[in-house]
Amino acid sequence: MIATRRVRPDKAAMWLLALPMGLIALSTIYPIFFTINIAAKTRKEYILDRFAISHTFYWENFSSAWEQSHMQDYFLNSVITTAGAVFLLLLVSSLAGYAFGCMRFKGRRLLFYLCLIGLMVPVQVILVPFYKLILDLHLLNKHAGLILSYTAFFLPFCTYLMTSFYAGIPREIIESAKLDGASLWMVYLRIILPMGKPALLSLGILNTLYCWNDVLISLLVMQERDKRTLMVGVTSLRGEFSTNVPQFAAGVILSVLPVIVVFLIFQRQIAKGITVGAVKG
Amino acid sequence: MTSNLLDPSIPQARSARWQFWHQREPEQYMGYLFALPAVLIIVVFRLYPLVSGAQYSLTDWNGIGEAHYIGLDNYERLLHDQVFRDTMLNALKLIVTLPIWVIFPMVLAILIHQGVPGGGFFRAAYFFPAVLSSVIIGSIFNLFLRYDGSFNNMLGHLGIPAVDWLSDSKIALFTVIAVEIWATFGINVLIFLSGLSTVPDELIDAAKVDGANLFQTVVRVIIPVLRPITEFVSVATIIGMLTSMFGLIYVMTSGGPGTATYLPEYLIWFQQGRLNEPAYAAATSMVLFVFMSIVALFEIRLMSRGSDM
Repeated sequence: MIATRRVRPDKAAMWLLALPMGLIALSTIYPIFFTINIAAKTRKEYILDRFAISHTFYWENFSSAWEQSHMQDYFLNSVITTAGAVFLLLLVSSLAGYAFGCMRFKGRRLLFYLCLIGLMVPVQVILVPFYKLILDLHLLNKHAGLILSYTAFFLPFCTYLMTSFYAGIPREIIESAKLDGASLWMVYLRIILPMGKPALLSLGILNTLYCWNDVLISLLVMQERDKRTLMVGVTSLRGEFSTNVPQFAAGVILSVLPVIVVFLIFQRQIAKGITVGAVKG
Repeated sequence: MTSNLLDPSIPQARSARWQFWHQREPEQYMGYLFALPAVLIIVVFRLYPLVSGAQYSLTDWNGIGEAHYIGLDNYERLLHDQVFRDTMLNALKLIVTLPIWVIFPMVLAILIHQGVPGGGFFRAAYFFPAVLSSVIIGSIFNLFLRYDGSFNNMLGHLGIPAVDWLSDSKIALFTVIAVEIWATFGINVLIFLSGLSTVPDELIDAAKVDGANLFQTVVRVIIPVLRPITEFVSVATIIGMLTSMFGLIYVMTSGGPGTATYLPEYLIWFQQGRLNEPAYAAATSMVLFVFMSIVALFEIRLMSRGSDM
């Protein structure tokens, strides 16, 4: 069946085309190995020959990058804010998705559109007033501040996706649970949350990446040195290690390690999440 | 896109009285309760700042003292601000590169769809950089592209003289753009692939029966079918260009050399944080917002047309 779909006579051409495509694939993967190779060298090796493949693996770069220069603190800050924001995002968007997708109440449409307008307001456009708001709410340099900020910026999309997901749940399931005497809260806990699992998992992974990778919002909200997140920390690492490139490379590798692990495990979900988001809006 | 979402084929609830007796909590107020956290967060942190930002842009507020209304002075100042002009010109140059951002991934997606050997692996490898933070990508490419870095070394072996990729004001912007394309083209490949999966097999078969070769099939059959998704990708890419390049610029060039790699988002951040002119930055923000809203309206039109069909 699959064979009929494809244009067959060009099989040789396909193999020929696979070559440049393979080179492009190589280019997207290579930089990580390039960086690992640098991180494996001692400073002296690096200065003597930048490009040679390292024969030894100088672990000390990693341990000293981790211990010096606050990387531990940065890492912890990233874990706290990412975990907090993702939890809050899933909780709030599943509640809202349930309300918008399954309930009928006056003003539902209006409130839903209000959430969608949020999609049109990226952080760049409200940098100044957003900073002022964070300042006025005493959220500057606080984990809660960054958690709330991430939630605010990624929530419209999550709400939209959960609403469209829950709108597809057959009404009868909820109705029959209610007839059995379940309150709306019970329906949420026993039916809505478990049924939303695939969408919540996908959103959870995607938003973990977004929060972990963010620079601009974190730069704005966490200005004290010991409150920096890992990605902002890496930019400051660059200055500190300008004379010790291998140690900087080791810091870079340490900070992407979690992302690479997530990518390898959840590659399919990430790809699906990206396309669903793009195609649906 | 959203209108059909809100009209699910939900059987209308029975009579009001039936509802009243059979539900512990009426949906009327429970709905508000469930939707409240999301609405509150979005209104307070996204919509309110938009309004107050528009207000700030009409004042001389300096971040600490009182704000005085000065009308459109900030906007007038922008008109004569060379840095702002440079930034807008850079943004224009960026947008002009749009065809590369769209056509390159389209071609790759079509080839993967047509069954290039190793397509599944390519698909995954292509979007790998998209999960990395722009800070990481910028840092790696700083090492790679520096004047005495590996890239120039590689070119040297091919007999090409070294280029100062990040410090030459004629080249720096395009270097950053190329890195951003490299980092994100995999996303557009995925989107095109999801669009390709909707191309009816019969169309391709018919072309094949007519004796069309791969190239003819692609040009006459596949590309016309992909038109809506191409429009969508173009619009989404423009929005991405204006909102997701801050990290790269911040790490790779800091806007330099001079203003060679200033883009609106970087300029706003610079005016707000470094120049400490929040009101002025707010005015720049409003210009960006108006432009992005126009683009977004296009997007909404495209998407609503899609759902009507």
